[in-house]
Amino acid sequence: MNKAATVTPPSKPTPSKLSRLWYKWRFHINILLLLIPLGFMPKYFSDMALFRGDSGLGQRDIGEVQVGPWSIHLAEFRSNAPMLDGASGYMKTFNAALCTECADRVKATYLRIGKPRSLRAAGVIFFGSPYRMGAFMQIPERTDPDADLWITMEGWDGSMHQASIPLSQASPATVAWLKTQGVKP
Amino acid sequence: MTRRLSLRQLGTTALLLLGAGLSTVALAHNPMCECKEIDNGQIRCTGGFSDGSGAPGVTLDVIGYDETILVPGKLGEDSTLTFKKPASEFYVLFDAGPGHVVEIDQADIQAP
Repeated sequence: MNKAATVTPPSKPTPSKLSRLWYKWRFHINILLLLIPLGFMPKYFSDMALFRGDSGLGQRDIGEVQVGPWSIHLAEFRSNAPMLDGASGYMKTFNAALCTECADRVKATYLRIGKPRSLRAAGVIFFGSPYRMGAFMQIPERTDPDADLWITMEGWDGSMHQASIPLSQASPATVAWLKTQGVKP
Repeated sequence: MTRRLSLRQLGTTALLLLGAGLSTVALAHNPMCECKEIDNGQIRCTGGFSDGSGAPGVTLDVIGYDETILVPGKLGEDSTLTFKKPASEFYVLFDAGPGHVVEIDQADIQAP
């Protein structure tokens, strides 16, 4: 008595349409993935040129400002409206270079919207080398668009010199942004 | 296979989240200060930095409009300082070092 055992092989699950598409095109899809970063290259190289200083002090040159016997070359790092930076609020970066003859005479340079009450409250300090310094300043949303940007320079000899330029000259994008903010208490 | 794949996916996601979380540590931290009027003509100021850290021991002076220091102070362990509201016009200066200051005018101090 032979018992003929019929063993059916386990049936393979039929691959889904998506799976078949993946196996057919995976090579090409991966090549496309490698190409995606190329689209960001122009922005990357322009940003790198900005960070290194190859494209100047910043995206928008403000020009030379005379501060007492010294002068400072100012630029907007990015020529757009202030950017929200977490708890700090809206921030704007200005870059600057001291005049070559005063680079070793200036101890500190400060930036403030509105005339400083004292040297202690002269605003944010510029940091970096005298040939390329940066100041990261908070722009309160209720700042008067007609306000002035005050530059305070403190010398190693103890002298202090101040100058101001209209905010509209320093950053037209910031003034345009402030005008859209409306009156706030 | 599916379990291994999902574990790998989980690991990648966790790594990405960790990277994104740690990247905020590299951001600049700016001084911050807030003053509020509390009861009995007292004003309480709280200082700190935008990265969430406190500022115990940092100088906070109450200065008159004529630049005389009315209340020289330092923030306590809880990063706050409470003082009696001066009779004359004043502003508060949170001073964490040159160029790292916050000024609060008396007009910007909220009433209770």
